[in-house]
Amino acid sequence: MSAAHGDGGGAVIAIERLVAMANQIGDFFAPYPHGQREEGVRNHLRHYWDPRMRQALLAHFDTTGGAGLHPHVLAAAKLLRDEQQATRKAYAGPPPRS
Amino acid sequence: MPNPRKPDGSVVTTCAYCGVGCGFKAETIGGEIVRMTPWKEGKANHGHACVKGRFAFDYYRHPDRVRTPMIRASIDQTWREVSWDVAIAHAAAEMQRIQAQHGRGSVGAVSSSRCTNEEIFLMQKFARVALRNNNIDNCSRICHSPTQFGLSATLGAGAASQHFDSILQADVILVVGANPTEGHPVFGSLLKRRVRQGARLLVVDPRRTETAESAHCKATVHLALRPGTNVLVLNSLAHVVVTEGLHDAAFIAARCHPAEFEQWRALVADGRYAPEVVGPEAGLDPADIRAAARAYAKGPRSTIYYGLGVTEHSQGSTGVMCLGNLALACGMLGREGVGVNPLRGQGNVQGGSCLGSWPHMLTGYRFVTDDAVRATFEQDWGLPLDPEPGLRLPNMFDAALAGTFKAIYIQGEDPVQSDPNMNHIVAAMKAMECVIVQDLFLNETAKYAHVFLPGSSSLEKNGTFTNAERRVSMVRKVVAPLAGLEDWEITVKLINAMGYPLHYDHPSQILDEVARLSPAYQGMSFALIERCGSVQWPCNPQAPEGTEVLHTQTFPRGKANFMLTGYVPTTERVDERHPLLLTTGRILSQYNVGTQTRRTGNVAWHDEDLLDIHRQDAEARGIRDGELVAITSRYGETRLHARISDKVSPGVVYTTFHFVQSKANAVTSDLSDWATNCPEYKVTAVEVAKVPANAPASARARAGARA
Ligand code: SF4
Repeated sequence: MSAAHGDGGGAVIAIERLVAMANQIGDFFAPYPHGQREEGVRNHLRHYWDPRMRQALLAHFDTTGGAGLHPHVLAAAKLLRDEQQATRKAYAGPPPRS
Repeated sequence: MPNPRKPDGSVVTTCAYCGVGCGFKAETIGGEIVRMTPWKEGKANHGHACVKGRFAFDYYRHPDRVRTPMIRASIDQTWREVSWDVAIAHAAAEMQRIQAQHGRGSVGAVSSSRCTNEEIFLMQKFARVALRNNNIDNCSRICHSPTQFGLSATLGAGAASQHFDSILQADVILVVGANPTEGHPVFGSLLKRRVRQGARLLVVDPRRTETAESAHCKATVHLALRPGTNVLVLNSLAHVVVTEGLHDAAFIAARCHPAEFEQWRALVADGRYAPEVVGPEAGLDPADIRAAARAYAKGPRSTIYYGLGVTEHSQGSTGVMCLGNLALACGMLGREGVGVNPLRGQGNVQGGSCLGSWPHMLTGYRFVTDDAVRATFEQDWGLPLDPEPGLRLPNMFDAALAGTFKAIYIQGEDPVQSDPNMNHIVAAMKAMECVIVQDLFLNETAKYAHVFLPGSSSLEKNGTFTNAERRVSMVRKVVAPLAGLEDWEITVKLINAMGYPLHYDHPSQILDEVARLSPAYQGMSFALIERCGSVQWPCNPQAPEGTEVLHTQTFPRGKANFMLTGYVPTTERVDERHPLLLTTGRILSQYNVGTQTRRTGNVAWHDEDLLDIHRQDAEARGIRDGELVAITSRYGETRLHARISDKVSPGVVYTTFHFVQSKANAVTSDLSDWATNCPEYKVTAVEVAKVPANAPASARARAGARA
């Protein structure tokens, strides 16, 4: 990835820290039931993280299968790739029950 | 001959030193400020004031004030004084060069709560229309960003629910992680007055603060919890409420989502949060936890005030949500004498939060990823906006170290001194190609800057501040800006130089633009504020003169939300090498990192940061009162003089962070809140050791030096 092309390229944070941050978000949503839990993490990553941070997390997922990520954070990372989820509006409250 | 001591001019304005936002009459003789008199009509202070507001004003004409813009090619060169035009053109050219070379996302900006609403709004506009990205953050990132997150999640509005005077109708006052009698003095006196009238005071704070215990004011219950256990203890209070059936079922049914309440009830009712289990873990007597929970739930009017002791944790946002949940469960919202209220540190932290100076949100707490919201701005500003969230302040520094973030425009902030893990920030600063600092003084950060733009103090500009009770008050120009320009004028020049044509005749036009683009400020204008003295948002056709108490009929999203707040201990733990917990705070006479108050007579009250340590811990280490000690964490080391104190519990040490020399942030970690990256200032595992008498002289001198 080349940073010169703008807005998508280049590392922002060491991957170890990104994984730790993503897991911290996962820890918060852990008490929610299956479904809500993953969605809460997805909403947060999608609407609070710079796209370069999201891409780095996804690249880590592709190259290592998501080493170090908690299972529901991995599931949330997969949801980030889902086109249909991408159009969902951001929200500040609890993840909706599907 | 006229009396030379008699003021010949007077201007009503707002104090910028803390979130109370007291009104003052600034009196002048021959264009120089001679006295600040508390303004009787000020609705936040009713004629009261504290030592900071009254006496710490002469910094504005301190010889250290920079009066001319300066540039240099690299940070090892000396500064070269230049004209405003040269400095602005140079800064703009550098940012454009860097964006062309390293991408649009390689530059960002940070706004300051020292600045007015209008100036903060312009900073985020700068990022969005001139940098064409969302790399904009504000200094509340490092203090109250969890407030915005946690209160938005539960109550739907990231701000205090009450006006200050509402506390005079409270029966129970719960203060969590705040010390208003020192941090927010004028509000602190109001609190004490109410306690003297018989209100019960519950304090949750690791220290025996002035608020918890003073001559005329003593907490009914003080939960001196172990730093880092807020969420555990707050969940335990909730546990008592739901298991003893103290919750307000009618309020929950009418104003909340019942299914969410059930979900939350199941979580906090778990035996893990029983006071008998939590007590030993948090260093508390279970009976005290039960007593506090019962008193709060019983009310009948119970109110919550909280501060950085809640937010500056790895679970800061969760802690704020706990407070929202607790108030909802007990029906303590939507009337006088109740509520959930953050106490803001610096003058305009609430403004920083409202005015869209966030990488993920536009004004009025609306997501940049929302197409409809962005469209209203795009129409007003006439260009498409970046639809993706930008970098937060700590992420900007991370990216600088990774080599992908190369320039930053910093308004009125000193991240090198005030941000956590100083060594990391310094390295990040050094990795950047262009650092633009706009400030009154050559602060610590300016050591790493390439462009210095001399800013103006709040005594030298027109605009508005929003205080901790959502009150928008006027800031009026008392004296001319020392370096010629008000801060907003500097930003306008930069925006123009970056190729986006922009012009305002007066800051009132900026507030008009804010009103156009933000629902909560819809009805605000200079004219309205002039007429009413001050106006609390929301201000709109339904509330043309503003709103004192929020959530009286409905919540912004209709119903409020219970959030699930499981306790996750911080990874910062004590061990054999770092057996003590360091927590940090501030004291009355100094203003946060003290850039301004250190340059006033107020140093007479406080001339050095000290380390408070319990006698037991001191004796175990052979430390005597007043001795120089080294404080070592996993991240760094600093030296301070020790003060034996019974205000801290064994196992806990405490210091303030007002003086550069103390480098308190050299020891704090880079751990941060899960939701906002607000740094965990309140918990660092450390060891404290006597500095041997034969330590290198330079180290001793450094630690002993005064500002
Ligand atoms: S520092 Fe705060 S309490 Fe003191 S005068 Fe200023 S606004 Fe009022």
